[in-house]
Amino acid sequence: MTVPQTTRTRGQEGARALAAELSKLVSLPATWLTLGGTLVVNLILAIAFTIAGLRGSTGTGSAPDIGLASIGYAQAGFVVLGVLAACSEYTGGQIRTTLTAMPRRALQFTAKHVALAIVVLPAAAITAASGVVLAAGVLGDAAAPVTSGRVAGALSGVTAYLALTTLISAAVGALARQTLAAVVVLLGYLFIAGPLLRDHVSAAKYLPDSAGVAMWFPPAGDAGAVTPVRGALLLMAWTAALMAVVVLGYRRWDM
Amino acid sequence: MITIDNLVKRRGSAKILSGVSFRARPGRVTGLLGPNGAGKSSTLRILLGLDRATSGTALIGSVPFVKLRDPLATVGAMLDGSGAHRARTGRAHLRWVARSAGLPRARVDEVLEIVGLTNAASKRVGGYSLGMGRRLGLATALLGDPEILVLDEPVNGLDPDGIRWIRTLLRERAASGRTVLLSSHLMGELAATVDDVVVVNEGKVVADGTLDEVTGPYGTLEDAFFALTTGGAP
Amino acid sequence: MKALAAEASKLASSPAVWIAAAAGVLVPGVIAAITASSALGAITRGTEANAAIDTGYQELAFGVAGAIILGVVGVSGEYVTESAESGGGRQITTSLTVVPSRLRFLLAKMSAIAVSGALLAITATVTTMGVVRVVLGEHAPAWGADDVPRLAGVVCYWAYTALLASAITVLTRHGVVPLAVLIANTSVVSVTYLLTKITPLANYLPDMAGVRMFIRQLADSTAEISPLTGCLVMTIWVTVLLVIAVISFTRRDA
Repeated sequence: MTVPQTTRTRGQEGARALAAELSKLVSLPATWLTLGGTLVVNLILAIAFTIAGLRGSTGTGSAPDIGLASIGYAQAGFVVLGVLAACSEYTGGQIRTTLTAMPRRALQFTAKHVALAIVVLPAAAITAASGVVLAAGVLGDAAAPVTSGRVAGALSGVTAYLALTTLISAAVGALARQTLAAVVVLLGYLFIAGPLLRDHVSAAKYLPDSAGVAMWFPPAGDAGAVTPVRGALLLMAWTAALMAVVVLGYRRWDM
Repeated sequence: MITIDNLVKRRGSAKILSGVSFRARPGRVTGLLGPNGAGKSSTLRILLGLDRATSGTALIGSVPFVKLRDPLATVGAMLDGSGAHRARTGRAHLRWVARSAGLPRARVDEVLEIVGLTNAASKRVGGYSLGMGRRLGLATALLGDPEILVLDEPVNGLDPDGIRWIRTLLRERAASGRTVLLSSHLMGELAATVDDVVVVNEGKVVADGTLDEVTGPYGTLEDAFFALTTGGAP
Repeated sequence: MKALAAEASKLASSPAVWIAAAAGVLVPGVIAAITASSALGAITRGTEANAAIDTGYQELAFGVAGAIILGVVGVSGEYVTESAESGGGRQITTSLTVVPSRLRFLLAKMSAIAVSGALLAITATVTTMGVVRVVLGEHAPAWGADDVPRLAGVVCYWAYTALLASAITVLTRHGVVPLAVLIANTSVVSVTYLLTKITPLANYLPDMAGVRMFIRQLADSTAEISPLTGCLVMTIWVTVLLVIAVISFTRRDA
């Protein structure tokens, strides 16, 4: 037998939990199908937005504005990814294997979310950049001029927004423990309730979806609008608060 | 040594366990015997930190499972099903479990060999038969080469070959001084495998002792089981 | 008939279906309360003369998310194995041993889903229109003869959408993708609406055509489609997808 019998330290335990959670994510076909599908759908939508932009009666927008418009829909893919990462634990009784291998639940929960962030950040950056590159390529000189600082700002804003949205989705998934229920709640909020609240209730700008959109979509000269930095801080606070609330329950539940 | 002391579990108004106490000692195979719904699985789940007891304690050595420094190398557990996601391959499943304990990749292939799944290791768990799923669960339990094995209905879904194989495996573990705790409702299998028997019924321990002590006046373990769990001779 | 009764009781005993029903009634109801009260504010301030013609109907177009959920979970429930206790068992195996004819099984299921979708639509319509009347009072749009076909259109649209969702789920055999795509497309600015900016043909996509049955003022409409044409177009879409679903379902392994 080649099993080393050593007692591990806390740091080692955390690193190993992270390695295990990363291994779980990358060996789940659904991870790659979701990320790949999202990228493809995002590109198709970006093409549609670019064509619509070329025909636009109000003048052509800048490449990041047009190329990132599709993110509003593509975020659904990241929501699904987050929910699947959490809810796949409940298929085949895997959660019992997870919790007997990593019984300290708060640590395991944190490791899972960190692993998810590690996988999602590059994927979100690629998805965001793909739309902008496509729009810039197709529009060429027809696009409204824009500084490279604004492009970098918008791209990092979108990337952070998608990553945080994925983490929120994973936390909601861990709370619901049912893929479809979690997806319904999240998409119902992001696509139906959120936009309508934004139109009718002014305090809605501090909710996670509106605060998040403020990170990359420039507020239209409204003095009371949330700035990108404050939007980022708000969304991070929402994410941290939600994860903290869920982990409180997650530590106590019978699995 | 596993020490279960006065476990009580309530779920809503239902009382699942009402004061279960017993020990599983090193060098012996202890069988937890009882009809469906007697509280066998609940006891094991509380022991493994999956469910919380309303009161009472379940200790591995002198600590609860969730306080173990190195859980996988201390306790190997198999509950119902494979414990693996159906879209992953058997090998990928064992790999992530191995990573959580910092075990080398080679150990994954070793346990696959032990349970006879080497050829199916690259197949998705969703395509496994019931017996293969159980073998994968056992491979997971054996990964850390643990001092203690906790197995819920280990022979369920295994063919006669598999049943003989697991019996030999468990006897060998006990012979080398390790602790084995298993639950079952199959009396014949249990009688041929265990040293000690704990019979539970309706959330209570109704008999606890060596196989001979429990079987004693009834002749066979099966007769003893029915006498103890239905309150009269069959 | 027995197969239909079995499917109806399966739907009624699924918690997910009741959540879908709650969403289908609450979403348009709550949204109608919010939009109607802000419309009332505009009317009393004098910035608007009276409530828009689509008041209530617009909200019911969003509420169709409930019908989508109903259609998806009604089918995906047959394949889901999320419970740890199920040990990989799927309800579809049981269903097909109880009703061995796959065609009959699927038709029974689709009928149950269509009927539930219509019932849900009626409940949601009564609730939403009630909320609009209560909030707007005398400023609510007056009922006319035109409202009868429009209300029928809402019920038809919901039942059709539930059928579309379930037909797509039969093809994907997993609920997440159809649910994500269809709900994302129920948003205020839907993908299909965006497509109409590129090609007028997109006006003939099922949802864009279907809403014509009851929505009278479609923003920036790029094509004129009468309610009857809209109904016809959506009927064709639903029929085609159902036929594809039936063919695929009867030919492949469960």
